[in-house]
Amino acid sequence: MRYDAAPTGSSKCARGLPLSLQWSPRVRSLVSGAALAGLALLLGGCSALYPPQAATSQGADIRTLYSIFMVPMIVIFVLVEGLIVWSVFRYRRRSGDNELPVQTHGNNYLEITWTVLPTILVLVLFFISWQTLNKVEAQPANPDVIVDVTGFQWQWTFAYPQYDLSYTGIADQGPVLVLPADEVVHVRLHSADVIHSFYVPDFLFKEDVIPGQVNNFDLNLKDAGVTYSGQCAQLCGMGHSQMRFTVQTMTPANFQAWVQAEQAKARATPAPAASGQAAGPTLQLSASNTTSFDESTLTAVAGQPFTVQLTNKTAGAPHDFSIKDSTGKVLFTGLPLAQPGQTVSYSVPALPAGTYTFFCSVHPNMTGTLTVK
Amino acid sequence: MATTVLAPGSTRTYRRSALYEWLTTTDHKKIGILYLTNSFLFFLLAGSLALVIRTNLALPELRLVDATTYNQLFTMHGTTMIFLVLMPFLAGLGNYAVPLQVGAADMAFPRINALSFWMLPLGGVLLFSGYFFGGVAADGWTSYSPLAEAKYSGSGTDLWIVALLLIGTSSILSSINFLATIFKLRAPGMTLLRMPVFVWTVMVTSLLIMLATPVFTAGVFMLYIDRNFGGAFFDPASGGNPLLWQNLFWFFGHPEVYILILPAMGVISEVIPVFSRKPIFGYRAFIFATLLIGGLGFSVWAHHMFTTGSVYLPFFSLMTSLIGVPTGIKFFNWIATMWRGKLTFATPMLFAVGFLSTFLVGGLDGAILASPPVDFALHDTYWVVAHLHFVFFGGTMMGVFAAIYYWFPKMFGARLHEGLGKIHFVLMLVGAWVTFFPMHLLGLEGMPRRIADYSPAAGWNDLNTIETIGSFIIAASVLPFMWNVFVTLRGPRDAGDDPWDGYTLEWATTSPPPPYNFDHLPPIRSERPLFDLKYGHGARRAIAAESATVEGTHS
Repeated sequence: MRYDAAPTGSSKCARGLPLSLQWSPRVRSLVSGAALAGLALLLGGCSALYPPQAATSQGADIRTLYSIFMVPMIVIFVLVEGLIVWSVFRYRRRSGDNELPVQTHGNNYLEITWTVLPTILVLVLFFISWQTLNKVEAQPANPDVIVDVTGFQWQWTFAYPQYDLSYTGIADQGPVLVLPADEVVHVRLHSADVIHSFYVPDFLFKEDVIPGQVNNFDLNLKDAGVTYSGQCAQLCGMGHSQMRFTVQTMTPANFQAWVQAEQAKARATPAPAASGQAAGPTLQLSASNTTSFDESTLTAVAGQPFTVQLTNKTAGAPHDFSIKDSTGKVLFTGLPLAQPGQTVSYSVPALPAGTYTFFCSVHPNMTGTLTVK
Repeated sequence: MATTVLAPGSTRTYRRSALYEWLTTTDHKKIGILYLTNSFLFFLLAGSLALVIRTNLALPELRLVDATTYNQLFTMHGTTMIFLVLMPFLAGLGNYAVPLQVGAADMAFPRINALSFWMLPLGGVLLFSGYFFGGVAADGWTSYSPLAEAKYSGSGTDLWIVALLLIGTSSILSSINFLATIFKLRAPGMTLLRMPVFVWTVMVTSLLIMLATPVFTAGVFMLYIDRNFGGAFFDPASGGNPLLWQNLFWFFGHPEVYILILPAMGVISEVIPVFSRKPIFGYRAFIFATLLIGGLGFSVWAHHMFTTGSVYLPFFSLMTSLIGVPTGIKFFNWIATMWRGKLTFATPMLFAVGFLSTFLVGGLDGAILASPPVDFALHDTYWVVAHLHFVFFGGTMMGVFAAIYYWFPKMFGARLHEGLGKIHFVLMLVGAWVTFFPMHLLGLEGMPRRIADYSPAAGWNDLNTIETIGSFIIAASVLPFMWNVFVTLRGPRDAGDDPWDGYTLEWATTSPPPPYNFDHLPPIRSERPLFDLKYGHGARRAIAAESATVEGTHS
């Protein structure tokens, strides 16, 4: 296996440039084929490679930006994979061929080319994405609706400071955030404990919910009468995957009507009593964290109403007392919620003898055994 | 022909038991093999955790494990894979190959080398001992504060902190050792620009570890003080800042990504030239790109924090975009190395090509995340999980297996069987794509990472099922590898000194090399001393002189 100083059958160009600028027809067809295939993949509607159509104008800008990025990405992918596959098949050593190939050490023109061209490409992409960033982050001075989102382990509270309305999620699916379409919605994010992230996939947007700072962003929803699901995107402990919520859009007129109706409903409901009228025997229950109640078992008398006095010792999270039977059917939901530091009494109707599960509807993971006999 | 006599008289007059020898050795080759064995055992462990994770996600609301167990599973999977598998795998390869490749008798500080290794199993045992003391850490490998504070997480997090202090100290010590070896113990004639590319990547990696890991160590100390002694570094209620943790963590955590990929790139840059029968294309450009990645790697950390609302986005976006350029340079250099070569496809080369075709995706799907608005959509979704697995599994693990098949004959004097190696490669490549590619699509559909459970209504069922099948294909790929090692070690040790017709100094000594490695060294006049010895240095010069367009030789 000695290097042949004058290899036969290889042109001058082969000796000099491994990847000659004068590409052979075969290489040229490979490159153009790769580019065409990339374009076809892009236009041919491989729609799984794209995010859903955005529900907000900000999300639509992000989707456009994503589509711009995908053009060079797919072209580079097809080109480079093509070159790898080509090299693997074209340059295999034939059996019996023991000669060394031409020992090419490099080529400065090629190195400069494949340094400068990608640099230009990433700078162009950077500037395009900077433009989109400024659009997405723009916030007009006077938003139409302001929403205060509070994340806590493991639920959300959505409050409308302009209308004095507030909703805390009390089930696996979390609370509903009702928003008007075609208006500017300003969202402020607060955390009561650890870091969460407010994420609605259809908005193509998320922002972290961080204790000690208030993050905010604007939304312009495009369509009314649509429901979107969202959930926490930042690991926040045991109940992270259940920390879901729903966004419901309305026309501005319907939204105002909804606000009026909700306000009327809130006025009709008496304010949460710090301690309600006790009916029957009173059971004491307290909660110091969001993982479990301080008491794991309660006992009540069959056929007789009773009262559960819940003391919420958890900073940052509300609780309640609810009951479900062994099939999971909810028999009693304790409202209003006991806010941090509050003690709330729940009057529970009479239950037949049996074993039940009591739980916190804000934190369905908090359960205990209620024995009625 | 001038030769250099290096080895002192090394014949032993007394015998020790093999076990005692392995437990007390300061021989870099044995320590290297210990590193690789330990990493492989933790690879099996962390891989098993991944199988439980994937099984739990195979169908919606399956709930095989409860939510806390699930959080522990991915925390231990990520922490173990990064700190006890990938980093030590690469450190082990460096330990084995670097002294041989620079023509040294051992590492600069052999006892510190042994100490660095033995801290790893100890750290691993501490990390997992939480299972016997009320639960392991469950805050993710990133351990974000305040979730990792005492109020929200159990004592497993303290064990996590102590384990990572040990592992971090181990890697700082071993990086000092590598730097001293590379700068002080190179054989006569081996200038910096004649070092094998793998040695260059280990050198840059060691610099990154030395500069980045102490910041992380400081961070976990602060977390420990917060948790146990009433500190408030990360507690906003007492004037601390939870984002301080993220800044400290990622100031280490992003260079860590390059710590985990650069040596694998180095391996590929050894394997591809040898199996293409050509020198690496653009050696200097390659070194330049490696240094550039190392330097830029320190200015991109906050791209992990684009959605925190506390980052100057354009700066970190620009730097992150730019770091794609040197990686691109490397890709073109690898392909140009194969171009017009004479390629043979023994298993190391298969894994090298697997690295190229898979790691490419990890580069591209990461480049798109450099754009903050796109990151707002994709951050903390399965897109990011896809990205990091294409980098770490499709990149680093492919490189690690390429290296194991490549250097196995040097370590043990026997070549792993080609047939079993090819089965291993095909299963692993197919498994990687089936498992990790659909994660991009799930990310686009909005599936967040680190959720134990998802709703059947979310529409994520099919892709998750496919991924779970893929993960079992990956698991199956490990079996022929283990069988291969077993039968090869029982077979004849007949690989010879230089089974691949290699270029670098490790192939100039016996397989396995004697204590202190070399009796004689060939003259070193380029980055391919053994090639020069076999084929003549003059022939190379003649080629260079013939064509004005060829870059000058490096000697």
